[in-house]
Amino acid sequence: MNNKINTALFVACQQCDALYDKPQLKQGQLAKCNRCGSMLIERKVDSIERSFNWSLAGLMLMLPAILLPIMGVTLAGQFHQASLFDCILVLIDRGFFMIACLVFLFAIAVPIVRLSGALYLSYCFKFNKLKPSLLNFFRAYHHLDHWAMLNVFMLGIVVSMYKLIDDTELSVNLGLLAFIFWLICSTMSAVALDQDYIWDKLEKAFAKDEA
Amino acid sequence: MNTAKQLGLALCPKCRKLNSLVTEPVQCSRCNGLFYQRKRNSLQYTLAWNFAALLAFIPANLYPIMIVYQLGIGDEATILSGIGEFIDHGLYPIAVIIFTASIIVPLLKIIGLFVLVYKVHTGIRLKPDKHSKFYHMLEFLGPWSMLDVFVVALMVTVVELGFVTSVAAGPAINYFTITVIFTMFAANSFDPRLLWDKKAE
Repeated sequence: MNNKINTALFVACQQCDALYDKPQLKQGQLAKCNRCGSMLIERKVDSIERSFNWSLAGLMLMLPAILLPIMGVTLAGQFHQASLFDCILVLIDRGFFMIACLVFLFAIAVPIVRLSGALYLSYCFKFNKLKPSLLNFFRAYHHLDHWAMLNVFMLGIVVSMYKLIDDTELSVNLGLLAFIFWLICSTMSAVALDQDYIWDKLEKAFAKDEA
Repeated sequence: MNTAKQLGLALCPKCRKLNSLVTEPVQCSRCNGLFYQRKRNSLQYTLAWNFAALLAFIPANLYPIMIVYQLGIGDEATILSGIGEFIDHGLYPIAVIIFTASIIVPLLKIIGLFVLVYKVHTGIRLKPDKHSKFYHMLEFLGPWSMLDVFVVALMVTVVELGFVTSVAAGPAINYFTITVIFTMFAANSFDPRLLWDKKAE
């Protein structure tokens, strides 16, 4: 019975495997699974345009967010401030390699790779430069879905500021502002990217002949 | 209600394209990725990562996570004693946040996944709708446990005033990171569709 089913007419829920007829959605609509309530398909509004703009903005904010000092402390007349990049350097310098790697991966490398990935994808779609390599590219992009932790790092900044404010003189710098905007941009670019639309388009462009 | 499995279909986990299942692993006709109809050996992997995480969670709580040096004298703090200090200072919101992120969430994740694996295996009092919601909550909470690691990393970097005050990370930080990452792997290897499969049996 396998060969009788036209798979293009159906969708299955990712979470509970329930099968539905593929709904035709307009921009801004989404379909939910009746059984487990998770999202089936979503057609996002103006997806390509938005993710292009957000990821471009995010990449421009990347350097100030990483290099500008986030906060500084004054204690007993001494002043010391640190940026995200200093954070890595100091951690390596003092021999905490594992945390240095983690901070680098989760708060710098993964967000940058995701932003540039989203930018490249939406650039290709915006200017109609679809290539077969995008299939592999977008598949690889999904591997990083769980590993961007800028929001957790942001909460970490807030908690450590709260900790420090008690017995030191704390000063907040431009880096914090840049970091917050960076966080917003990278979240928004991930949210704006419409997976189903991109996959559909790629499929139509490079459909393998059904042998 | 039909499931894709009953009709001999398999859903690509990456691009969400339905493929007809001929042989496993299936090669997706859209993104060319190889995949299985259900995550392979899902329960075994989840259990294994879970045990590893639980094991690493023990030294994570026994060793000091942060050492504060003031005028050359070191003051060691474990995760729990750090929280105790916050309560002594009256910083209740921070105490609650840190306690949630570094004790409750990892433990909830480990115990919760054990329960889910047990329920799928035995099928006793299995409520797929509730349990899959619970699983999504666990999956969502996962990365937030990294909070403590980031806080220590920031403290080490910012509070570096030579002899007056400096902060060093303790050995617990490595074990704690391992715990968090392993629980994330454990949650990733669990396949919520097994809950529904078991119920349908």
